[in-house]
Amino acid sequence: MSRKKITVIGAGNIGAAVAAYSSAEELGDVVVLDILEGVPEGKSLDLLEAAPILGVCSRIVGTNDYRDTADSDVVIMTAGIARKPGMSRDDLLKTNVRIVSEAAENAAQFSPNAILIVLSNPLDAMVYAAWEKSGFHWRRVIGSAGALDSARFRAFVAAEIGVSPVDIQAIVIGGHGDTMLPLVGSCNVGGIPVNHFLGPERIEEIVQRTRDGGAEIVRLLKTGSAYYAPAAAAVELARSVLLDQKRLLPVSTYVDLHGEFGRRNTFCGVPAIVGAGGIEQVIQLPLTEEEENAFKKSLSAVCSLMEEVDKLL
Amino acid sequence: MSKKKITVIGAGNVGASVAAYASAEELGNVVVVDILDGVPQGKSLDLFEAAPVLGVSSYVVGANDFEATTDSDLVVIAAGIARKPGMSRDDLLRTNVKIVGEVAEKAARASPNAILIVVSNPLDAMVYTAWKRSGFSPRKIIGMAGSLDSTRFRSFISLELGISPVDVHALVLGGHGDSMVPLTRFCFVGGIPVTHFIRPERLEEIVQRTRDGGAEIVSLLKTGSAYYAPAAAAVEIARAILRDQKRILPVTAYLDGEFGYAGMFAGVPAIMGANGVEKVIDLKLTDEERTGFEKSTAGVRYLMAEVDNLL
Repeated sequence: MSRKKITVIGAGNIGAAVAAYSSAEELGDVVVLDILEGVPEGKSLDLLEAAPILGVCSRIVGTNDYRDTADSDVVIMTAGIARKPGMSRDDLLKTNVRIVSEAAENAAQFSPNAILIVLSNPLDAMVYAAWEKSGFHWRRVIGSAGALDSARFRAFVAAEIGVSPVDIQAIVIGGHGDTMLPLVGSCNVGGIPVNHFLGPERIEEIVQRTRDGGAEIVRLLKTGSAYYAPAAAAVELARSVLLDQKRLLPVSTYVDLHGEFGRRNTFCGVPAIVGAGGIEQVIQLPLTEEEENAFKKSLSAVCSLMEEVDKLL
Repeated sequence: MSKKKITVIGAGNVGASVAAYASAEELGNVVVVDILDGVPQGKSLDLFEAAPVLGVSSYVVGANDFEATTDSDLVVIAAGIARKPGMSRDDLLRTNVKIVGEVAEKAARASPNAILIVVSNPLDAMVYTAWKRSGFSPRKIIGMAGSLDSTRFRSFISLELGISPVDVHALVLGGHGDSMVPLTRFCFVGGIPVTHFIRPERLEEIVQRTRDGGAEIVSLLKTGSAYYAPAAAAVEIARAILRDQKRILPVTAYLDGEFGYAGMFAGVPAIMGANGVEKVIDLKLTDEERTGFEKSTAGVRYLMAEVDNLL
């Protein structure tokens, strides 16, 4: 029985935070890969030097070479650039489709049995690109977005009511962006529906704050975007895969469209059971008419993104 | 019984990592203070939003003033600037004495019963500054240096032997970096002296790599310095205090006759608990160790005199 091996692609803030959280709880040995020379090695050495005090036995190594990632159990994709001032949305998409496609292809070649977790943005488009380029079965390619969106929703509800976030459950479905859909009906606090604690207007404000969650952090930081909560959410998925926890989590996964929106398929946020096999079962939720309409709207927005990705692949 | 409150001063990489490790293990609620508008708030909100997935109930908030830090149980000072190209050592010292002096005073006023852990560099000078300006009893001021040096030493020994770092114990004395004195006779692997596994010449190479540990990370990162291991080392001390663990850790502590010195701070092993430094372990040193330790303390005395001129 050998140790689990986790590859993190991208040594930026998110990639390094993923390596930090996963090594701190000894999920496995971690390889951090980046094209930048020195940075993955430096951050990994710093993390390795923290292991004795954290009391964990994880090895962390940085590299520029995919050969070091060989036979990983989980590959976490955080590569890609952030949108720079003056850069069009199309240019961002073009650049990141190229980066993520290449990385997915390389990673898949060296770790043909891995589960691939994608965090790069725009999220649903990047999961789709990684799926296409890796050649992996869709069950083995998971987009990490809903877990982050729902963590934000839970954090805000917890702060509002003054109860522990641990006791708040929430599901967020749809695309990762303006059209995301927190399912308020499913949100409960220690099993009690959230509307027992909060009025509809206040809940709607929290829903809106969740949608704008990424932008709120960018506005505060000014020169960067969120990385702690996104990394923690990705590690939650990785843990569920590596420990075969069968957790029920919101993820971005393959959705069969049967020609709806003019497409056969897309990737979009839905709840699913995540285990050693990746996405083991997608949960079909009964939605209210209002939720159904909002979900359709979100699917339609995601589909137009997929059309653009198809042209770039 | 209320939740412990931890203040982290400085929202840079080290400060944010201290907040990240401390909140992830629910050591207490965390307040991150920085003069930069938005940065402590943004990093804290990001950390707070991670709490639900991490399954912890810690609150993390950012602030620009010390009012939010009122009645903290523990204050970690990670403020100060890094040395920039072309900047003299004196300029760095002057700037950081000013920054650390000011925050130590404000933090002490807001949390008169707190224990203070200093991480800012140059470490020995900053611990002394924080003591002078906080007005705290010296045993309530702790400098983080030895635990970082020792974790580096342990990780390198672990790599060398292919044995878990958890089973490697090591103790370092003296100042941080060049003047560090690793006591290799106190280095054990699962209770077995390290010399059973590694010959002296190789051990000396590992000691040297440990001394250069900070520089090695800087040379790799190019545009920054280490923050994960330093933050983890600071949180180790914080945990020992907040949970009253009575751990023996290498820290920069006030000497009151131990090792033959009084009225100054030096890197020594000490028992850490709810009262801060509860006891300095006064070790009998070999001649060689004593020489290294004296060299290190001479450096500290020189720095103290410089700080006195600036305060």
